[in-house]
Amino acid sequence: MPEFRTLHAGDAVHGLFSPSEVEELMRVEFARAERHKYPVVCMALGVDRLAQLADLYGYESKEEVLRAVVSVLRAETRDSDFLCLRQDDRLVALFPHTAPEFGAFLAKKLLAAIKKQRFERDGRQLRVTLSIGVAHNRHEKAISFETLVRVAEEGFAVADQGGGDRLVETELYQLFEKKRRQEELAKERKELFDGILAAIPRTPAPAAAAPGGDKLGETLLEILKSLGLSVSSFEDLDKDAIATAISRMADAKASAKAGEVDEAKRTIDMLERRIGKLTHALGVTEEELQRIAAMKNVELGEASIYRTVQGLSDDARDKERKREMMKDIFHANFELKKRLSGHADVPKGA
Amino acid sequence: MAETQSRKDHGVLYLGIDLGTSRTSVAASNGVRATVLSYVGYPKDVVSKKLLQKDVLFGEEALEKRLALRLYRPLAQGVIQGDGKDAENLKAAQDLIGEILRRAKPRADELVYAVIGAPAQASIQNKQAILEAARKSVDSVMLCSEPFSVAYGQDMLDDVLVIDIGAGTTDLCRMHGTMPEESDQITNTCAGDFVDEELAKEIKKVAPEAQFTKEMVKALKEKHSAVMERMEPVIVHLPVHGKPTAIDLTEGMRAACKRIIPPIVEGLTRLIATFDPEFQERLKNRVLLAGGGSQIKGLDVAIEAAMKERLGGGKVMRVEEPVYGGANGALKIAHDMPAEYWEKLK
Repeated sequence: MPEFRTLHAGDAVHGLFSPSEVEELMRVEFARAERHKYPVVCMALGVDRLAQLADLYGYESKEEVLRAVVSVLRAETRDSDFLCLRQDDRLVALFPHTAPEFGAFLAKKLLAAIKKQRFERDGRQLRVTLSIGVAHNRHEKAISFETLVRVAEEGFAVADQGGGDRLVETELYQLFEKKRRQEELAKERKELFDGILAAIPRTPAPAAAAPGGDKLGETLLEILKSLGLSVSSFEDLDKDAIATAISRMADAKASAKAGEVDEAKRTIDMLERRIGKLTHALGVTEEELQRIAAMKNVELGEASIYRTVQGLSDDARDKERKREMMKDIFHANFELKKRLSGHADVPKGA
Repeated sequence: MAETQSRKDHGVLYLGIDLGTSRTSVAASNGVRATVLSYVGYPKDVVSKKLLQKDVLFGEEALEKRLALRLYRPLAQGVIQGDGKDAENLKAAQDLIGEILRRAKPRADELVYAVIGAPAQASIQNKQAILEAARKSVDSVMLCSEPFSVAYGQDMLDDVLVIDIGAGTTDLCRMHGTMPEESDQITNTCAGDFVDEELAKEIKKVAPEAQFTKEMVKALKEKHSAVMERMEPVIVHLPVHGKPTAIDLTEGMRAACKRIIPPIVEGLTRLIATFDPEFQERLKNRVLLAGGGSQIKGLDVAIEAAMKERLGGGKVMRVEEPVYGGANGALKIAHDMPAEYWEKLK
């Protein structure tokens, strides 16, 4: 899970809420969206090659670019959208009441808007591009805010590794939801054990313990017996013995779950390898397609599988159709103009 | 424009303008976006002119100082009132377009080409009046159907039904990969202003002695409009015999807003039923809700429910930016229009 908690030093400069405040607002918005069944879109955004830019031109250049990017994002989005700048200079945004289709549209718009920005440093023109990962809550497995952010992050990583200046939707909701559940279970288990250990006094418990304490003692005795440890009363035990017993119990449970965990790990590894291969293959395929298209003077359109899959199509396939539409609009207006020039009833420059 | 034309040799500023009954918005290729309420006011007399120190006021400022002004809302039902034959309204419309152009911040040395969205079924006279009003401010201008520009802006050119709810009109347009024809478009007047009128009736029902103006009703609608069965209570304060009195408008608000749904669904049914049967299902599931009226809470879900009852189902999506949807689309059309077409229309 990405770290939202630390206040970013540049928050005052960028004029954003602190990351922890925004995270809380986003969580609330996500919960509200789940309750009222409206769509939200989450985006993870980052400026491509920002670290290199800082190395080449200094920290101030990086800050200047980030400020400009934040300002463009604000201008292009609604006041009701959430935007958060994290410690690692990445941005996370949440767009309430936004359908997945419009999420992709908005991301394209942001890519284009950032591309138009021009920066100058040491007499050189710098062009800045973004990588964007997009996720939405309309997927059946997008049932938690953490999963939504992780899927967007994953999309960002793929976009970034693929060369930047693009948006990617990975649809890996199931995978990250499973990971989240596993982490949650592990955390719950740890809290349970820590709680039990903390509840047991180092000295023997007095005979007239509180009712809750008695119950805990009885439960522990049962657990110990089931593990083959012969004990007659709670007073016979000390904290170290119980800790050993609990540790053994945890080991037993862990080994019982080992098969399932191994399988999940294998699935995760396989999917991660597949993502890596796909990212690489898509880059190669696109380069190859562009080379062939340039060689044969062919207009890429529906032929570019890569662009269609990635949602990066520059609408080449629609160009001819749009040309026809423009022609129709022009002819209609030309007719109007002709009528207007011969229309005596309309007062001129009233 | 002709006087300065010779100096305009440093590029072109493209504008997409949504000339609306309630507000006029512009999206420009220099990145500027602006919106202004479609009100134009001229000082009533010498005293008010001296006080205001302006020859003409626009938008909220005009509304605020309306007592000292001859106030015009030059557009009605999406077109210039009086089909351009009313000289005062035409001048107000010209000034409004001039103002929105100024807000787009054009450079003195660049040409200005604009695409203006007009209601789907505006008459020839209406269109000519809009062109006449725009010509004073821009170098070349074209009109296009408002719902078409919304769909074009979203790149949804195939099998989409656009519902564009403005203040004066609700336009429905069927997109199927070509320019929509007259039979693909339906316009009705059950739009924002209609909701205002219905809401005023509802207020009178609940509190017959309450005092209010059209602007107050409009403000209430913009703040509280919703059609959901379970919505937050709408408690408003209106003067009754000069004393602000709390009035529960929850039911009235819902009822007034809901009255625009039947004509919309009626129009959708007509457009779907006359479409190629093979693609009707796809069309039903790609309904795009746009315009200021699309901000009524729960409207998409309510239209879906009415479509389910009437047409067996349907899916409604909202545009991301209701205020700028039309202007963004018009700007995109302006960009995509070949330069020679612009030249011919100068």
